[in-house]
Amino acid sequence: MQLDVNDVSVTLARADIVKSVSLRVEDGRFVGLIGPNGCGKSTLLKSIYKVVQPSAGSVVLGGADVLRASPKTVARMMGVVGQFNELSFDFTVREMVMMGRTPHKKLLDADSAEDERLVEEALLTVGMLPMAGRSFLSLSGGEKQRVVLARALAQQPRFLVLDEPTNHLDIKYQLQILSLVKSLGIGVLAALHDLELAAAYCDHLYLVKQGRIYAEGPPRSVLTREIISEVFEVDCQIYENPVTGGLGIAYLESGPSAAAEAAAARAGS
Amino acid sequence: MPSAVPKRRFAALPSGKAGFALLQLLLAGFTLLSIGIAVSLGQVDVPLGQSFQILAHRLFGLTIGDSADILSGPNANIIWTIRFPRVLLALLVGAGLSLCGTIMQASVQNPLADPYILGISSGASLGATFSIMIGFGAGGVLGQLGLAFWAFAGAIGASVLVLALSGIGSRMTSAKLVLSGMVIHALCTAFANSIIYFANNTEGIRTVTFWTMGSLAAAKWDRLPLVAAAVLLAALFFLLQSRILNTMLLGEEAAVTLGVNLNRHRRFYLIATALLTGVLVSSCGMIGFVGLIIPHMVRAAVGSDHRRLLPLSIWAGGLFLIWTDIIARTAIPKVELPIGIITALIGAPLFMYMLIKKGYEFGGK
Repeated sequence: MQLDVNDVSVTLARADIVKSVSLRVEDGRFVGLIGPNGCGKSTLLKSIYKVVQPSAGSVVLGGADVLRASPKTVARMMGVVGQFNELSFDFTVREMVMMGRTPHKKLLDADSAEDERLVEEALLTVGMLPMAGRSFLSLSGGEKQRVVLARALAQQPRFLVLDEPTNHLDIKYQLQILSLVKSLGIGVLAALHDLELAAAYCDHLYLVKQGRIYAEGPPRSVLTREIISEVFEVDCQIYENPVTGGLGIAYLESGPSAAAEAAAARAGS
Repeated sequence: MPSAVPKRRFAALPSGKAGFALLQLLLAGFTLLSIGIAVSLGQVDVPLGQSFQILAHRLFGLTIGDSADILSGPNANIIWTIRFPRVLLALLVGAGLSLCGTIMQASVQNPLADPYILGISSGASLGATFSIMIGFGAGGVLGQLGLAFWAFAGAIGASVLVLALSGIGSRMTSAKLVLSGMVIHALCTAFANSIIYFANNTEGIRTVTFWTMGSLAAAKWDRLPLVAAAVLLAALFFLLQSRILNTMLLGEEAAVTLGVNLNRHRRFYLIATALLTGVLVSSCGMIGFVGLIIPHMVRAAVGSDHRRLLPLSIWAGGLFLIWTDIIARTAIPKVELPIGIITALIGAPLFMYMLIKKGYEFGGK
């Protein structure tokens, strides 16, 4: 399913967080949203999954007007893995994933054998099937994240929105989740923290700075030394990783002046 | 697939649909037995067999064995006109309070919510006292409706104030919620008590004890239909909302991504629970902690899925109040304790435990 975001602006508490952002995710493409903390990428995603109401602009998913459609209609098409996994109540892992079936259910529908199958499949996919009977609150951050992904998968989405899905995860699961999501073959819009991972998995990147799209394009054209230094305020070297052949970023820890100061301090002591 | 798949957290409980149906059946049987025991105990003890004979005859026209003497004796009258309506009221009120607690906990996503702790019952009590002062409550269906209406108005007012105080928009912490409830409770109780105090002619006004500690002593057949209708309708309605209640527990954002618009549902649920609280309080005063204890214990046994939690909480609440009423009537010979004392004695320590337990983030974040 194709997602079109047209000139979306979001104002929260009189501050303009997102300023006239447009982007497109074609069906089957994995598109990354990168940018420093507080640049507005989470808010932009929230306006796409209907938690925040944009002050202007439109969001169109598979021809449907997301902002006008009911949450249920949208939830049948779009799965979301967000960062909101704090609960005051406990559920088993299986119950948690079963809730992904909610948008497909009417008031009186019981869980069918088909629902059970989809839940098992989703749990198997994220490697949490052995823990199906465990209590959700007893899980580690990474396990919780995988359960929430399984819940989104049980929704049978035709589009996925991920807000930093690999936060708290061991590298094994970071790679596993991203390749898994990529293998689904549906449109994906993901806010990502790690630039090298974003380069490795995304077909296309949007770089957000202070609520605006600062740069966009294939990873190699967005992740350049100049742009990274301008947006993230870190000096770096871009190289071709000799092992993976992918894009590598070597961050130069501190600027030349800071290094000189440190050296001076050492000499003085 | 791995071989050792832990099925449930609580292996002792029957799992699956058949098991759940069996559990419900057991509960229904236990409820019948409890009703029998409850109508048999009191100032005059009636043998359990006799009680069932009397009830079977009055309810279904069944005559079991040689019971002509029993049916025309004084016991039949005591059981049918005094004790049985009272036990039914206990069952209904307990079920209703427990239902209210469960729904409110889901609505504000906080396991400490309960009509009594949040001051909703006090609001209802204030409304009811006020309506008696202006002349309702004289009896009859209209009087009862008027009383229930004012109790509802008080309950709604208290709900709105508590939620506004604890900040429904921002993150509502347990501390803010409980403190707001305390403030509203103190305020409403002060107003209600001063109404009772100044309207010193006790004619139309039941005592302070009745409103603040609750009593089932006023149970009469003609007062039951309103309570029964309110509890059954609310139970039926909320049993159909289990899926939405489940997503509610996940919080605002997650619920939206699962297709549920929480704000609309939450508002409606809080109005419905205030309505039910109004009816319950106007019929038996404030009985505290039932809505806190019962959902908490049922949740510990079967988890948070409302498809199991809700029906079991309703049963358990009814059973709990039947037995608490038995204690209230029989603990001290010839003295009837206000039932609220017993529920508070059981509920307050549990409430303490919940506050101390770290998981509830009391005062945190």
